[in-house]
Amino acid sequence: MLSQELLKEALGKALSTGADYAEVFAEHTQSKNIGIVSEKVDKAANAVISGVGIRIFKGTRCVSGSASSLSREAVLDCAARVADAMSGSAGIADIKLQERLFGDIHPVKIVPGSVGNTYKIDYLRQACTAAKEYDAQISQVIGKYLEVDHKILIATSEGLLAQDRQIRTRLMISSIASKGGENQTGGYNPGARKGVELFEDFDPVELGRRASRQAVTMLNAGYIDAGTMPVAIENGFGGVIFHEACGHSLEASCVALGQSQFAGKLGQQIANPKVTAIDDGTIPNGWGSINIDDEGTPSQKNVLIENGILKTYMIDKLNGRRMGMASTGSSRRQSYQFEPTSRMTNTYIAAGEDRDEDIIGSIEYGLYAKEMGGGSVNPVTGQFNFSVMEGYIIRNGKVCEPVRGASLIGKGSDIIMNIDMVGKNVARGQGMCGASSGSIPTDVGQPLIRVSSITVGGR
Amino acid sequence: MTYQEFKEAVVDAASRMKIKNYELYYTEGEGINAETFQEEIKSYSAQSDLGACFRCIVEGKEGYASTENLTGDEARLLVERAMENARSIESEEKAYIHEKGDAYAVREQSGQETVQGAELVEAALELQREIYECDPRVTDGTQSYMSSGRQKYAICNSNGLELEEEISYTVCYAMPLVSEGGEMYDGFKVKQGRLKDFDLKDIAAKAVEKAVSTIGAGSVPSGKYTVVLGNEAMATLLQTYSSVFSGEAVQKGMSLLKDKEGEKIAADIITIVDDPLYKDSVAQRTFDGEGVATYRKNVVDQGILTTLLHNLKTAAAAGVKSTGNGQKDSYNSAVGVRPFTFYIQPVEGTTEAMLALAGDGIYITGLEGLHAGANPITGDFSLSAVGFRIEDGRKAAPVKNITVSGNFFTLLKEIEKAGADLEFVGGVVHRCGSPSVLVKNVAIAGK
Repeated sequence: MLSQELLKEALGKALSTGADYAEVFAEHTQSKNIGIVSEKVDKAANAVISGVGIRIFKGTRCVSGSASSLSREAVLDCAARVADAMSGSAGIADIKLQERLFGDIHPVKIVPGSVGNTYKIDYLRQACTAAKEYDAQISQVIGKYLEVDHKILIATSEGLLAQDRQIRTRLMISSIASKGGENQTGGYNPGARKGVELFEDFDPVELGRRASRQAVTMLNAGYIDAGTMPVAIENGFGGVIFHEACGHSLEASCVALGQSQFAGKLGQQIANPKVTAIDDGTIPNGWGSINIDDEGTPSQKNVLIENGILKTYMIDKLNGRRMGMASTGSSRRQSYQFEPTSRMTNTYIAAGEDRDEDIIGSIEYGLYAKEMGGGSVNPVTGQFNFSVMEGYIIRNGKVCEPVRGASLIGKGSDIIMNIDMVGKNVARGQGMCGASSGSIPTDVGQPLIRVSSITVGGR
Repeated sequence: MTYQEFKEAVVDAASRMKIKNYELYYTEGEGINAETFQEEIKSYSAQSDLGACFRCIVEGKEGYASTENLTGDEARLLVERAMENARSIESEEKAYIHEKGDAYAVREQSGQETVQGAELVEAALELQREIYECDPRVTDGTQSYMSSGRQKYAICNSNGLELEEEISYTVCYAMPLVSEGGEMYDGFKVKQGRLKDFDLKDIAAKAVEKAVSTIGAGSVPSGKYTVVLGNEAMATLLQTYSSVFSGEAVQKGMSLLKDKEGEKIAADIITIVDDPLYKDSVAQRTFDGEGVATYRKNVVDQGILTTLLHNLKTAAAAGVKSTGNGQKDSYNSAVGVRPFTFYIQPVEGTTEAMLALAGDGIYITGLEGLHAGANPITGDFSLSAVGFRIEDGRKAAPVKNITVSGNFFTLLKEIEKAGADLEFVGGVVHRCGSPSVLVKNVAIAGK
């Protein structure tokens, strides 16, 4: 993307006013999206994103800049602008760049850009048709196909030069069921750090039917009564509870500034002893997986909580300086336009020992949250919320009728203490996580769990 | 190459590939940001960005491609990719490239915001000092953030339309952290406009007041309550549901407002306005993402849905004229439909007057989790909320850890009173506003 000479020149220029660290991040990304509405292709677009982001540090102070170009002129101009915002004289004279090679632990079989639209459309159409034909109450199906081919290069004044090519593909099916002036929705959105071989992992007909089954189930459901009750949350995307209730509060971006409910609690019991939680960017071909993070640090498996004890935070280089701790390979950014910071990759609650039937059987009256929607959290107060896409009442240890309109809220530090049963079968689900460094792909996951008590919003 | 050279290369490539109907949409911008921590600048950044999007119509079908890489080769690839995409389209909706001849409004506010880095840094530090001075309980972790920039929008198309306009703005965020009894509380206030117009002391005070007022908040028993939805909370809700007024959403079966034009969809006191030229907006826009002239319109007039919002494509499908709401979220997104400054018109009375009218109930000042807990397709919402109890017509103890549930379409009809305390939320270009509103029998989940 950029020559070593140019990188060295840019780093030198960036350091010229006294910074003790400089970093160049260059990106060239090609993406495509295709949409099907009413069983007809209705949108197709390609995009190219290309630019540079430069950061310099002096102690814990950071100056950054970005430009939408990889031309020599633009890169050097960006470096000069960044340097201009500091005052001092250069402390680092000679930069030697050495390219570090990392084995690709997420091999891609079919690069999406090498395949024409027709193949992708045919697959998507099968899913949409199956969704539409699932039930006469399905009034609309929206299918989306997304592919991203994201090439990054990172060079630093410490001599690091690293590159990665992150290819991701995703399918999104949303179904709308209607009757009597009412709508309900269902969806299924699998994705992976893979090329179009992703299609081999899913039968398109099953994919479409799954989205529609949810919409029809919810259309014929009543509303849940509001209250506080035990909740069993299913595996897969159910892991969003940990992502919101705890994950964000373990990111160095808020821990380092004292903005987290879990700041200063390393080595302490913060969760129920049944809970072991992991952030692992090295899961082969995972949606949130990376070979290296956006500062060039190799990704690693970080055990965040082990049997309820807080083991580590997710740390990037800048916040690591403030905390006096090393990077955990957790620095991520949406694109060169965003400053990177500590973020999650694939985050999940590890398998426990409880049997699924015992978890459901233990609940006299409560909610079984089969499919979860997204959520959000305020890391300062720990107050989080997320929505249940498909829920059922549990009565006398049995899953009964479906209910709609439920949302779960609480304080993260309370709720992770209340996770008192953990099942055996871990599954992951895909999402896009938004925070200060932009929108990035992340996986959430868990086995079936029980939360002994949580506030369920309803009517 | 420069944008001008790139534009010529694209026009040349299009003519060689015999494309007759096309548009090139271009944006470029610059911005600076300063973020504080304790008494210092924690980070400072300066960005510049640009991007071009080519949209063509080939045999009646529309294809898109975009790029940030302005080179001769890329100009050719851009046109080729858009053509391949156009050939994949099956939808029978007709696509359009806008004609010349619209009468464009003249912006009242044409002043430019040109804030230098040093000025911005000084303002961020001053805001930070003001926050700390508001209350002794303000603690480290408090942050002030200032951002200033400009954005240029340009459109040229095969019908000879050439348009260009620029907006510039400063945004400031006050984010105090307050510590009391081992617990942390946060507040937030954002203000957009011109740096010279900002009252930093007032912004700091409002943000700190928000944090301090939540100290000791507790839940309430689940049940049905009389609720005053505060102006910011109602504006946030309107923002989340603004897509239901889009002709595109209606035509695709994603909005329950299908066939409701001319019908009553809200209480008589509710008038909802879309105003691209709103008087105090720093982002007044005279043309939309397809080059259509924008104008102010009442989308809901005294409870009656008078019009949906349209771009050229959805307007043609509905047999009406575009309302000038063809918009792109970013230069590289497809033309969708969105309002500009979108707000419920203020009616009468202060926030306090609304609380007095409520008598007893709950005053909701903040809603969270809207991207997941509020569904524009169904209208249903179940959201985490914070606020206060209302006792004897006055604001009483703070409340947290509750949810408020309902349906947006039902809520619009059940609004009993609306105040005059209009407040806006959202970004620089797209923002939503509302006064506080009073609604009865609202489902609250708590203890």
